[in-house]
Amino acid sequence: MHMTDGRDAEHEAPRSAREARAAERAERRAARAARSPYSAIHTGPGRFLTAVYGILAFAAIGRVSYQLLLKFDEAPFAYTLSALSAAVYILATVCLVIGSRASHHIAVAACVFEGIGVLVIGTLSFTHPEYFAHDSVWSAFGVGYGFVPLVLPFIGLWWLRRVQRSVEAQRG
Amino acid sequence: MIPELTYFLIGYSLLLAVVSLILALRNRAAGRWTLVGTALLLAMLLIQTVVSVLMWGQSPGTDGILFFGYLLTALLLVPLAGAWAYAELTRWGPAVLAAAGGTVAVMIERMNQIWM
Repeated sequence: MHMTDGRDAEHEAPRSAREARAAERAERRAARAARSPYSAIHTGPGRFLTAVYGILAFAAIGRVSYQLLLKFDEAPFAYTLSALSAAVYILATVCLVIGSRASHHIAVAACVFEGIGVLVIGTLSFTHPEYFAHDSVWSAFGVGYGFVPLVLPFIGLWWLRRVQRSVEAQRG
Repeated sequence: MIPELTYFLIGYSLLLAVVSLILALRNRAAGRWTLVGTALLLAMLLIQTVVSVLMWGQSPGTDGILFFGYLLTALLLVPLAGAWAYAELTRWGPAVLAAAGGTVAVMIERMNQIWM
């Protein structure tokens, strides 16, 4: 009896300041989760996904602002497309970070749009190369970005679906 | 850009990405050493910034906005990824770092192409 008490006390005592802070964060996260179970959207694998979306959004913003401000006349179609895709990546990133019911559904729509966009534009860039003398994010299925734009929307949809299921399971 | 520093930067960011990936695959969270490793990458990027500014006149054909746009993005990306990886206490923390390390390596290579 005495031994188990001792072991419990040892187990509960935080081993470092970092773990104490982590415990506080976990409590806050639990409080947030009680308000909205969708906040699980940006933890665990979701954090990796949100980070990759953030990097892609970052890259797209940088590229598109340069193209629109300095080179818009050269290829208006490709650069307008870049601006549109950048806006959707930003939208998806923001929705993943917010993690509420509404933002979950907007993120699903954004992922569907990105998936269709990369498939349609990727195909068009091979069948009608005259429109794509200048690269956009989705040209040739996103080869300039290591095919990340091709894979990401589908991983995103898988993850959003998993979050949706766990939320439904919690509600019973 | 100094070729040796460029290769070292690319090599180091790839090393950080690979080590982070191994940590993620072995189900380890990001710890103090991954944070130090990320800080070192940031320090090297700052050195690269100083070097680029000092060597600016030597490469007249370089597009300055493009070059420093990439450099500034990398300088913002590394601390953000480091902080986020450290905040996550699961294997997905190092996974964030792996993605950021790979991205930075590609960005340095792009900077090198722009500089030429």
